[in-house]
Amino acid sequence: MSAEQPAGGHPTNGISDLVHQRHRLGILTITAEAQAADFGYLQEALGLTAGNLSRHLTVLEEAGLVQVEKGYEGRRARTRVRITRQGRTALGGELAALTELVRRHEALS
Amino acid sequence: MSGEGSSEPGNESGPGEEPGRLLSELAVLRRRARSARHAYWLPLLLFGLLSWASIPFYVMASPSAPRASGTGIVALTSGPALPVLGGAPVRGSFFLGYYWLIALVGGYLLCALWYRRHARLAGLQTPARGYVITGVVLTVLALLLPPLSQFPALHWLSAAWPGDLVVRGMFPFLIIAAGLWVLAWAERSRALAVTALVFTGAALLANLYDVENVLYRLGWNPAGYNWQVTIPNVLLPTVVLLVAGGAAGIAAATARRRRAAGTPAGSA
Repeated sequence: MSAEQPAGGHPTNGISDLVHQRHRLGILTITAEAQAADFGYLQEALGLTAGNLSRHLTVLEEAGLVQVEKGYEGRRARTRVRITRQGRTALGGELAALTELVRRHEALS
Repeated sequence: MSGEGSSEPGNESGPGEEPGRLLSELAVLRRRARSARHAYWLPLLLFGLLSWASIPFYVMASPSAPRASGTGIVALTSGPALPVLGGAPVRGSFFLGYYWLIALVGGYLLCALWYRRHARLAGLQTPARGYVITGVVLTVLALLLPPLSQFPALHWLSAAWPGDLVVRGMFPFLIIAAGLWVLAWAERSRALAVTALVFTGAALLANLYDVENVLYRLGWNPAGYNWQVTIPNVLLPTVVLLVAGGAAGIAAATARRRRAAGTPAGSA
């Protein structure tokens, strides 16, 4: 299912299994807000263990939604995460689908 | 979103997860991230202080004799150095132009270092490069435009001269204003956009109109020496920068304390 076309029929059609996972959605949301986010910031903000965060990042990186840059600042290792254009599109599609779901739910209740 | 460190990537939450709650959680993450990366209080205070420090150069640029009645600016007695940065017809504006050249370039380079340091401490990077590049490029253009337009082949460049805007020596405030708009976009800050709007208004007023006239209409007449005509023009944008920078600094410190205490911080 593509996250890029949220408006095809029912809004759940716009929900991507890859992006919809709440922590991955959190990673995309935070990285979309900054030029780059440190691994440590993501870990603290999302309340994840280093191992879990790494696995989520691997999934997103393999899908081309984020770029993970590993480097050094002085002697200290530093991992930075950047969202890609594809990642922004996927996030936008997911948020649009979720918003539409909420709107429909409110219209029914 | 916190407190679920044990969840595995394979443990997917499906489309059945409450979308409203998920959207609220994401909004909180976005607000916290935006609040954590806001660092514009320092550029505001820095350029406010640099503007304040320019006052002696404006006093030096004005004659000590009482000004002729009805004229806001004395006549040009010699060609000033760096006319766009230092003001065209102000006598002795040699040092003023060089002061602003050093202050602007140095100020933008300090801001670049500041944003680099802040990204390291906050864990989030703000795309401030555009801000620094805008400021430095405009300063260099203001520096190079007058001498380049002297060459016959490049005479057409004189059409790009900011005309009336360089008369009072306040053009550097417009360079600072242009940078603030770029920074407001980079910081995604409505508060900074409002500051940029107010500052641009103050900078245009200082460039195109003597603020002394506004003061006169409000009942105070700082007549006497020419620097008393010029200084209100410098003070107005300076006060805007210092007040906005101080307020943003207090807001940033409050947000930092809230984050340390685990309370959600609002966006500024």
